[in-house]
Amino acid sequence: MIRRQQPLSERLEARGISRRSFLKFCTTTASLLALSPALAPRIAEALESPRRPSVIWLSFQECTGCSESILRAGAPSIESLIFEAISLDYHETLQAAAGHQAEAAREQAMAENAGGYILVVDGSVPLGNAGFSTVAGQSNLDTLKAAAAGAAAIICMGTCSAFGGIPYANPNPTGAVPVSEIITDKPIVNVPGCPPIPAVMTSVIAHYITFGTLPELDHLGRPKVFYGQNIHDRCYRRPFYERGQFAETFDDEGAKAGWCLYKLGCKGPTTYNACAVLKWNDGTSFPIEAGHGCLGCSEPNFWDGGSFYKPLSQGTEIGGKTLIAAGVAGIAGGVAAGVANRAKQKTLRAPKPEAKKEDKA
Amino acid sequence: MTEVVTKTELDEAFAMFYGMAASIKDLASPEPEMTEAERVGAAKGVFLKAIDAEMATQLDACVKCGACAQACQYSIGTNDPKYTPVRKLELLKRVYDRELSPLRWLKRLYTPDLTEADLRAHQELVYDACTMCGRCNLVCPSGINIADMVALNRSALAAAGLMPAELRFMQEGQEADGTIFGADEDLFLYRIQDLQERLGFEIPLDKEKADVLLVTSGLDIHLFRDATGGAIEALQHMGVDYTLRTDGYEGANFGLLSGHDGTKKKLTNHLVDVAIKTGVKVVIVPECGHSYPALRFYGAEAHGGAIPFEVMTVSEYFGRAVMEGRLKLEKDAERRVVALHDPCKVGRWGGVFEEPRAIIEAIGWELHETESNRAYNFCCGGGAGNFLIESADQLKRTGYRIKMNEIEQTGAKSIVVSCGSCRMNFEVGKVKAGDTIPVESLAALIAAHLPKDKGAKA
Amino acid sequence: MSLLDFARGPALEWAAVVFMVGMLWRIGGLTLMLRNKVLSKDRTPEPWKGGLRTMFTRFSPAPVFRRKVAFQYIAGWVWHLGFVLVVFFFQLHIQFFKGIVGFGWPALPNGMIVAMGAVSLAVLITLLIRRMLNPVLRMISSFDDYASTVITALPFATGLMAFAHIGLAYETMLALHFLSVALLLVWFPFSKLFHVFTVLPSRYALGVKFWRKGVKV
Repeated sequence: MIRRQQPLSERLEARGISRRSFLKFCTTTASLLALSPALAPRIAEALESPRRPSVIWLSFQECTGCSESILRAGAPSIESLIFEAISLDYHETLQAAAGHQAEAAREQAMAENAGGYILVVDGSVPLGNAGFSTVAGQSNLDTLKAAAAGAAAIICMGTCSAFGGIPYANPNPTGAVPVSEIITDKPIVNVPGCPPIPAVMTSVIAHYITFGTLPELDHLGRPKVFYGQNIHDRCYRRPFYERGQFAETFDDEGAKAGWCLYKLGCKGPTTYNACAVLKWNDGTSFPIEAGHGCLGCSEPNFWDGGSFYKPLSQGTEIGGKTLIAAGVAGIAGGVAAGVANRAKQKTLRAPKPEAKKEDKA
Repeated sequence: MTEVVTKTELDEAFAMFYGMAASIKDLASPEPEMTEAERVGAAKGVFLKAIDAEMATQLDACVKCGACAQACQYSIGTNDPKYTPVRKLELLKRVYDRELSPLRWLKRLYTPDLTEADLRAHQELVYDACTMCGRCNLVCPSGINIADMVALNRSALAAAGLMPAELRFMQEGQEADGTIFGADEDLFLYRIQDLQERLGFEIPLDKEKADVLLVTSGLDIHLFRDATGGAIEALQHMGVDYTLRTDGYEGANFGLLSGHDGTKKKLTNHLVDVAIKTGVKVVIVPECGHSYPALRFYGAEAHGGAIPFEVMTVSEYFGRAVMEGRLKLEKDAERRVVALHDPCKVGRWGGVFEEPRAIIEAIGWELHETESNRAYNFCCGGGAGNFLIESADQLKRTGYRIKMNEIEQTGAKSIVVSCGSCRMNFEVGKVKAGDTIPVESLAALIAAHLPKDKGAKA
Repeated sequence: MSLLDFARGPALEWAAVVFMVGMLWRIGGLTLMLRNKVLSKDRTPEPWKGGLRTMFTRFSPAPVFRRKVAFQYIAGWVWHLGFVLVVFFFQLHIQFFKGIVGFGWPALPNGMIVAMGAVSLAVLITLLIRRMLNPVLRMISSFDDYASTVITALPFATGLMAFAHIGLAYETMLALHFLSVALLLVWFPFSKLFHVFTVLPSRYALGVKFWRKGVKV
């Protein structure tokens, strides 16, 4: 409560972050959002505004990886600045309060900012037994519905809330569904990834705070600016794909030479995300650069799309066993067809019935 | 050679024969009355009995490439796609698809059944427009035996009562007494007598036992006496123990040509029985294309088991004798440039190629091969009994023209041929086209070049 | 399930099953039929030699026919060779087969495969147009002939487009490629494409027949 009244400049000073760094953050965010650099001051103004929008962060069937990503718990970074620009009125992992106090704070924030707060969700919602995921005696489903009713917009952080994610994977024992399957009357932006890239998450929030609208979305509700191109098209190993130089195993000469990982199951060509451009850990690296194929974690059903190590050129269900079984069935059928044909031929070639009658007489 | 027929006699006989052949259509019995169901049923029955694994595989091997049209003289000559050889198998394929294909349960849904109209429309394709020459077989990338399957189509149409009138006349005649063109026993004996007088020796007739049985044909009895006369003279010269038989002199088989399987079997079996009775080692069939496969490659099938004698055609018998040195021929005074026509049933379907060539070389003539020769030659245009079919006239001329073009390109002064039907087609074609190149019988040529001193022995 | 998941998964699996069963059904049905016996004496012994011979001589037309059928023979060769090389010697296809049989084999360079694939596709399209315009082919062609050409061309077209990343998004083109292959597999046993298994036995049969008569074709 006290923090809300402190001006941003003071809070930044307290954290040892210069105004220059802050402005650099705003310019970077503008750039990431594919906006003109001229809009950077507007972002700065919005973030500095004493009026800090309320953000309710609900966590359902999740691993907390999305929160970890945005916080980069191991090393505090400039992205966590975003928390200075918002009023994070509910976050189960980060909040100091616990128990009924925490729930009361949430309900108060929701009441005070009704119609205007941002709802952030990570984790999927179980439609099966509510007991799979219940907080404070209330099922995730009810909590979501109640929270969504007063939200201005919903940001689904991570593949679980966007598409169902890992809980949704076969056999989906909890009946997990994405948020968009439950809430259909509010603007929803999906920011998938397992987890999503930190800068992507903060940029989406910043965009909404600055402009009051969600960025342009693709057919899966993902911001086009980050999810409009596939990994394959931006991957630095693309020339090797074109030349047909592939790593065959994880430790062969091709792997050591940094060749394309298509044959080791990389899903880059069918995965839309910004990993190849923005990378991870402040641009240090991303999975392919580290020598492992892309899992496709920002796509729906990435867990069920065939093995991570099965290349896209392989069928996912066709296999030796099926074909042998089909072969056996086929041979049986072929023999049956042949025998039937022989029998028919013999009937056709048999002497005429008149002749047989004569024999009898 | 002793002249057994003068040019005048030949011309007269030709005119008479031609007139007789032209009137056959009117003399034929009317088309048998059958219901549509009977016709269709009969045709399908023939098809289905004959289809075996090999034929089924072949029918399923066609990829509709159209190459067959590039080999068929009728297709090439008319440029009309309706004569494309594989079209002749359409009805057979439909029946196979519907009734015997392993996929019949599926094909039945979209393959139309046979109708009488289909059968009637098919007549032209398998009679008029096909001599079963087999050239299409040789170009087909899938190696489909179109020609033999056309023969099966003739059998099916015959069973359905739909063979051409001219062939029905001939088939019914042979079914009744085994003769063609009225060449009955009396005429045969008359001809033998005539030949004896001209040749100057007694022709062995009706020996109880002999080494060789010489068969002739109504066509030779009426018309091409130089062919039979030549064979007889050559056999006599070689001192072979041969005979002709009054009960087995007709080599032609209009059962085969018309598609009437019953008559075909009856006629072949008759010759087989006579040959067995006479205990011959070799049966020589006359200069007549189809008589060769009728006995050589069908004798055992008709008989139901192996036959105890060899079957050779005239060119084969004497050609082999020349090649093995058993027959010496004198060189002709002239080194004439000639072309050789390999009759389809003797060459491509019989394997007799080198023997006639050996004879031509032995008599010192220069053979200029036509572009399409040996197994790849063009048909004379009127084989398989088609020379009798009136409605096939235009097509015969088309076939003739293609063959004659190739012959003209060789610069030959004569055409040598060892088949009366081919010879007939060339002569008729010549008249209609105004060509004059002489057509020689190989048998006659052999006799004409026998050494005067009769030194060669069998 | 996305289109790609469906195409790579159940669609391909079921198509492969239909293909196996269909092909074996038809092969068995043909092979086990009764065979007509030949009783007449053969002019040349060992007719199987004639069968083998003709199986191979028919790969190229006899000299007298060459001028007339050269184009279709050459086109056929180019198409078939391209087809076999692209399907079995492209890296990513070898990966596909490896997923089924457990082992792979050496591949041809991508550039060669793309070139051959494009040429094969061009030949197919040319032959399709020829079939539509040539009077003989028009007369003897049925739905099966046209459809078989189109259905065979689709995997080439979708494959080239997917690999070159042109046309629709990669995941869609790849899905279409898988689906076109599934369609081809399902169409195969019931259409003229089955000639893969009938052409050589047919040639063999003819070779034997003529060899028996002493004729080598």
